[in-house]
Amino acid sequence: MDLDTVKERAGPREFGPGDDMPEEYRKAATRMIQFHANSEIMGAYLEKPFIRQSPSLDRKLAFSAKTQDEIGHGQLLYRAAESLGVKTREQMLDELAAGEGKFLNCFHYPMTEWQETPMIAFFVDGAAMRRQATLKRTSWEPYAHAMDKICFEEGFHIKHGEDIMRELATGSKRGQELLQEAFEEWWPRILQFFGPTDDDSTHHDFSADVGLKRMGNDELRQAFLNAYIPKAEKYGLEIPEKPRIVEEDGTYEVIEEDLDWEEFFTVAKNEYPSGREQINGRKEAQEAVAWVRKSLDDWEHAGTAGASTQRAAD
Amino acid sequence: MIWEVFRQEQAGEYHTHCGNVHAPDREMALTFAQIQHGRRKPTHSLWVVPQPEVSEVDDEAATFGGTTDKSYRWVMPYNRVDPEFAEEIAESEAEQRDADEQRSEG
Repeated sequence: MDLDTVKERAGPREFGPGDDMPEEYRKAATRMIQFHANSEIMGAYLEKPFIRQSPSLDRKLAFSAKTQDEIGHGQLLYRAAESLGVKTREQMLDELAAGEGKFLNCFHYPMTEWQETPMIAFFVDGAAMRRQATLKRTSWEPYAHAMDKICFEEGFHIKHGEDIMRELATGSKRGQELLQEAFEEWWPRILQFFGPTDDDSTHHDFSADVGLKRMGNDELRQAFLNAYIPKAEKYGLEIPEKPRIVEEDGTYEVIEEDLDWEEFFTVAKNEYPSGREQINGRKEAQEAVAWVRKSLDDWEHAGTAGASTQRAAD
Repeated sequence: MIWEVFRQEQAGEYHTHCGNVHAPDREMALTFAQIQHGRRKPTHSLWVVPQPEVSEVDDEAATFGGTTDKSYRWVMPYNRVDPEFAEEIAESEAEQRDADEQRSEG
């Protein structure tokens, strides 16, 4: 299929592994889905310690379930990316371990305190959900199918995150102060979730033209702020003075120059120190379970496991 | 090896394609399918099929559903009712409530 035909036909869930897609499309889709998959995995590693650190059994169970969901989302997305025929799942996981795989800015920062958990589990996941809901209409069908399952599950994650925030916001004075501190630390990163404005986003035009992306970063950021600023205020959180946010006719606009874009691009290049630690932490985990993958692969290649020989083995 | 997974929600219903798993043999594919696809949504039975064993016919080779307008048997033309009543979280919640209700009925 030539590129003009792709652009012409680029409707929701329009293309799948059965279609002969041009290399430009397959590469752009791989870049986008690999980034998404990596982010699911890195987010799970950030939250994993709270299976242990949660203050109650209920929270522990919820974090355990959530972390498992996120790893599952990563696997679904690697499968969707793999179906483009550009990279294998192994390649993408190795790239992540080698510090070459890119992922969401917020997951490059350490999260050590309980009051920080709603910053990810409510705000960051909420921002992700805004984007993901639009991706149910992406043109790469396996990606859209992954979105159906992810969006189905994600409501629990965000409600859980909000519930932690509610508990802290309606609890002790000390809890409220800690929540406010965490919010002030994370707020600029959350605002950068959708990246710089569309004008500066190199990949946006093509991805939109071929239907991979359905909504621009500006529009998504706008939609996110409209829904989530009132939520923050509802829980008594004070929006920091900087970065400035201009409210007009009930919509919000961030003054971009107030945000640290140098830090953002250092993060984006996997060069931010805490981000490197996160990458290396996951790399060590990947190496620690190499024997599991090896035993699965050995079994597969032993020839007793293949579909056509299975009947004989049965 | 990739195995396509098909889920049947209740006895007597169709098995519907719901995704795929990586697994080294049939038995493990069934185990992985249960974990990935039979955990929350109501499940009566799962099929796993080796991906190379699946054959396809597409709309270039066939005219599915005939050649006359049968849009009346679809929900789409009935567009005076607006299904976009809520946003993404509410939608996720509604889907989960549905799944839960179906589970407890089944």
